[in-house]
Amino acid sequence: MTDVDDLVRAAQRGDRAAFGALYAQFGRLVHGVLLCRVGRTEVDDLVQEVFLTAFERLSTLREPSAFGAWLAAIARRRATDHLRRARPTDELPEDVAAPARPHAEAAQILGVIQRLPDAYRETLILRLVEGMTGPEIAARTGLTEGSVRVNLHRGMKMLRESLSGTQRVAR
Amino acid sequence: MSGTEPRHDYLWDRTGPPDAEIARLEDILGALARREPAPALPLPPQGFLAAQWVGAALLAASVIIAVGGITLAYKFRQPGAAWTVTRLQGSPTIGSLEVGDRARLPVGGWLETNERARAALMVADIGHVEVQPRTRLRLVSTGQGSHVLQLERGSLYATISAPPGQFFVQTPSSTAIDLGCAYTLSVDEEGGGLIRVLVGWVGFAFGGRESIVPAGSACVTRRGVGPGTPYNERVSPAFREALQTIDFRGASPDAPPALDLILAEAEERDEVTLWHLLSRAPADDRDRVFDRLAAFVPPPTGVTREGIRAARPDMLDAWWNALGLGPRPALTK
Repeated sequence: MTDVDDLVRAAQRGDRAAFGALYAQFGRLVHGVLLCRVGRTEVDDLVQEVFLTAFERLSTLREPSAFGAWLAAIARRRATDHLRRARPTDELPEDVAAPARPHAEAAQILGVIQRLPDAYRETLILRLVEGMTGPEIAARTGLTEGSVRVNLHRGMKMLRESLSGTQRVAR
Repeated sequence: MSGTEPRHDYLWDRTGPPDAEIARLEDILGALARREPAPALPLPPQGFLAAQWVGAALLAASVIIAVGGITLAYKFRQPGAAWTVTRLQGSPTIGSLEVGDRARLPVGGWLETNERARAALMVADIGHVEVQPRTRLRLVSTGQGSHVLQLERGSLYATISAPPGQFFVQTPSSTAIDLGCAYTLSVDEEGGGLIRVLVGWVGFAFGGRESIVPAGSACVTRRGVGPGTPYNERVSPAFREALQTIDFRGASPDAPPALDLILAEAEERDEVTLWHLLSRAPADDRDRVFDRLAAFVPPPTGVTREGIRAARPDMLDAWWNALGLGPRPALTK
């Protein structure tokens, strides 16, 4: 891994390539945080908005090592704003407009994960969808490895239970 | 991690035997992951943030300081001794050996990923490359001020923070020359490729043919021809198709109508595309390109139609400088 602190400091000095590197390294984190909360067809655009917001506000970040947590917080706020402005509904958006059949099962499982408690769903999506490992998730989000490990295992247990319940209902 | 004895935990770090249900979920849900290559990030123009705070006078100073800062940071870096490969996903290989969590890629060594594998490469001490699935690449050389990769097929994402012209990626049809940037580069089975620039600039060169690709733009390359004309990612599919006609089937009867379409659709954002077409459009059509570009950026004093028809380098350089994008980078030393 490159040194995130150095990249953040360079980006704060105006190094656009450094910010590009941060975009590359933290893109999956932001994508995952958003995917927990909004429909997947909207995530790509929101990822860009989050990074543009971060770019504009980067000078306000005092502690470079907190970049990941700071960025994730921007992403969560952006998702909340997006849902608030969307058509009135109390439910999480469904991906009913899935363009391809192979995505249908993925969208269904994603819907189940989106209904898990906050801490579990975010960690699970980063692990199962974005392909990050537990240590990567901890490094990127600023959470302790212990917390991530607990969230992963408890979340996975709840997911297994929810999926087996879904399958029973489907039968 | 805690605990005194090593234990395998596939959910935690993919060590040990895969849990069948987790592996199945990874397979299914992986379809929803962030797509690679990532879309271009349209950062505001250079100086936008500074302008918000201190106005135009300090803007110029901030650019100078930023450039100086990058240069100084580079100057005082420790030179990188090796290229480290980090496994990101699956089982990348170097030669016939699987990369564990980390490995070293020697000069001449091939790094390969299958459809499930990804890896990260540290480019000496100047940057970072993410190697995507189904990719095969070789470290050609690395040394003070020059680092060369060969991308035979597949795709990579590169972020480089160094003075221009130090990092090169050779493909079967062109060489990508870093000009201080972040970009994705992919190569297909026929040896053609596509570069998409996220930040900064990339040069794309083959033989005497050169393209300069700015952030937010892309450029196609074809074996035996070299790089096409760069285009803004927001242009229409018809615009892209028309450019490919001119770039790769220039002698066909389709070329004149293709140029008609480009000139009709071109907007101010397409000035880099039009600039490249000044010397690439058939000589008989260059006046039309001249007029279209002149509508957005008037030709500077001394630049004449006759000179552009003859593709005079001094006039092309002068018009490039008038675009306000900084000096035209020298791609060949």
